[in-house]
Amino acid sequence: MTQAIVVEGLRKKFGAREVLHGLDFAVEPGTVFGVIGPNGAGKTTIMRCLLDIIRPSAGSISVLGQDPRQAGTALRRRIGYLPGELHLEDRTTGRRILEHFAAISGPVEPRHVDGLAERLNLDLDRQTRKLSKGNKQKLGLLQAFMHKPELLVLDEPTSGLDPLVQQVFHTMVREAVDEGATVFLSSHVLSEVQQAADAVAILRDGEIVTVATVEALRTAAVRQLRFSSTGAEPHDVGALLARVPGVANVAVRELKADGHAAGTVEVTATLSGLVQPLIQELSRLNLTDLVLEEPDLEDAVLTLYAGQSPGTGQAAGNGDTSGRRAEGAHRA
Amino acid sequence: MPRILPLFTKGLADSWRSTLAWALGLSAACMLYLPLFPSIGGTQMEDMINALPPEMTKALNYDQIASGPGYTQATMFGLLGFLLMSMASVGWGAAAVGGDEESGLLELTLAHSVTRVQVVLERALAILVRIALLSVLVFLLVLGLNGPSQLGIDVGHLAGAVLLFAALALLSGTAALCAGALSGRKVYGIAAGAAVAVLGYVFNAVGRQSPDVEWLLNLSPYHWAYGNSPVANGADWGAAIGLYGISLALIGLGAVALQRRDVGV
Repeated sequence: MTQAIVVEGLRKKFGAREVLHGLDFAVEPGTVFGVIGPNGAGKTTIMRCLLDIIRPSAGSISVLGQDPRQAGTALRRRIGYLPGELHLEDRTTGRRILEHFAAISGPVEPRHVDGLAERLNLDLDRQTRKLSKGNKQKLGLLQAFMHKPELLVLDEPTSGLDPLVQQVFHTMVREAVDEGATVFLSSHVLSEVQQAADAVAILRDGEIVTVATVEALRTAAVRQLRFSSTGAEPHDVGALLARVPGVANVAVRELKADGHAAGTVEVTATLSGLVQPLIQELSRLNLTDLVLEEPDLEDAVLTLYAGQSPGTGQAAGNGDTSGRRAEGAHRA
Repeated sequence: MPRILPLFTKGLADSWRSTLAWALGLSAACMLYLPLFPSIGGTQMEDMINALPPEMTKALNYDQIASGPGYTQATMFGLLGFLLMSMASVGWGAAAVGGDEESGLLELTLAHSVTRVQVVLERALAILVRIALLSVLVFLLVLGLNGPSQLGIDVGHLAGAVLLFAALALLSGTAALCAGALSGRKVYGIAAGAAVAVLGYVFNAVGRQSPDVEWLLNLSPYHWAYGNSPVANGADWGAAIGLYGISLALIGLGAVALQRRDVGV
């Protein structure tokens, strides 16, 4: 089966300013692919290129096996799109808007629309100008999902939604994927992508820093490590930790105060990388306490952003296909 | 169930309020101007016109105002009707693409299963139909007042004049649509459409003043349409074909321009 989206060497200039500097990535069919990056990184520009709303300055794009520039209306009928800045007509109702888009991009089962509206808790017969931002966003999601497209391109889909509705959205994404759809979504909040996505591209200033699975990101992320042990010299504990790859910021403190057994040390450190080698080394010690915190992916991503040049990201270390693709982006 | 011409039908349906408002305005203009003719027409009118500076009568096209057809031509088709129709048409034309893009709505429409050429053509067609509706209304009103107001207008000449009346409005509307499609901005559309209407009127008014500036008449769509006073003398069919032809070309240019550029940037 061909890939749902293949982007190669994508560049986009607005006037003299280049906002995408040669992107390469691919999205496997039936997966959820997330793009995260700060505002202005180029997420929206990529999505508009996929929809042929704007045209690349260089590079090639294939969406569902076709060039969006050439494929025309038949291709866009297979895509559901939620713009990052959603604008809806004021003097009409949600139902009328959906009927109009259904007339263009249909067929749409009316029952499906009503079902989705009910799940999102959205009143379709209200005037759109009276809808809150969250309710407008629901309407935007509905018009993207209603014709059961093969590809969903969603720009900041959960923006403005309250947590309960976000859960509904994640369920809708899962259902779509279960039915064979591919989802391409963006966010500037990692936790959101982490929940929905199978793979994540991190975008910074128009370049892909890395493409990785959420698992790989997790591996790259820095965890806080804290433990106490008895019966070992601080020096030996330090030497033991030095053998573990990815351990840094080691601080060993000997506790001599009353209440502690002789030779008690308390250690704090950070771990980036795999857990298993650490556990193997730690098993030699007589541990009285061990805390290995959940990695903060937000931190991991910020670390990658802070990297001086794109391509210094270490996240895609597992040799998965998306990781190799990330190397392609380094040439940019 | 894909509907036929979904953007066209939506364009018409969305604008029924404004279409109705312009229809009321045009009706009011007909009802106020034309019934006055019997009481002020004839020699009384001629005396009044002769008292005005000749430059002014020429600028306002009042030189034939003493006759019923001349009066209708100068007041309804040449002045207030022209003004109202141009305003309606420029507003619709500027909103059709440029305004829609500027408000962010066009992006979502284009993400659905339509082509850009289709967007321009269907929306232009919706404008054309609205102009046609208003023009037919004016035709019927003038026809209805023809007898009671003793205007003495030939029905065939009236039909030709209404055709040119619609053509002038369509020209400024399609200029607005084209500029909006080129620029993505409503204000440029309004500027272009208003320029066509206003400059056409001004070039006609100034060009009629003396042989030295007569060449300005050649640049005035208003003069192409109304130069021979069509309500009195029948339409200049060449001018009608020319005006509709330029409008079609402007629509085509707008479609090509939108097809070739980035939207919403």
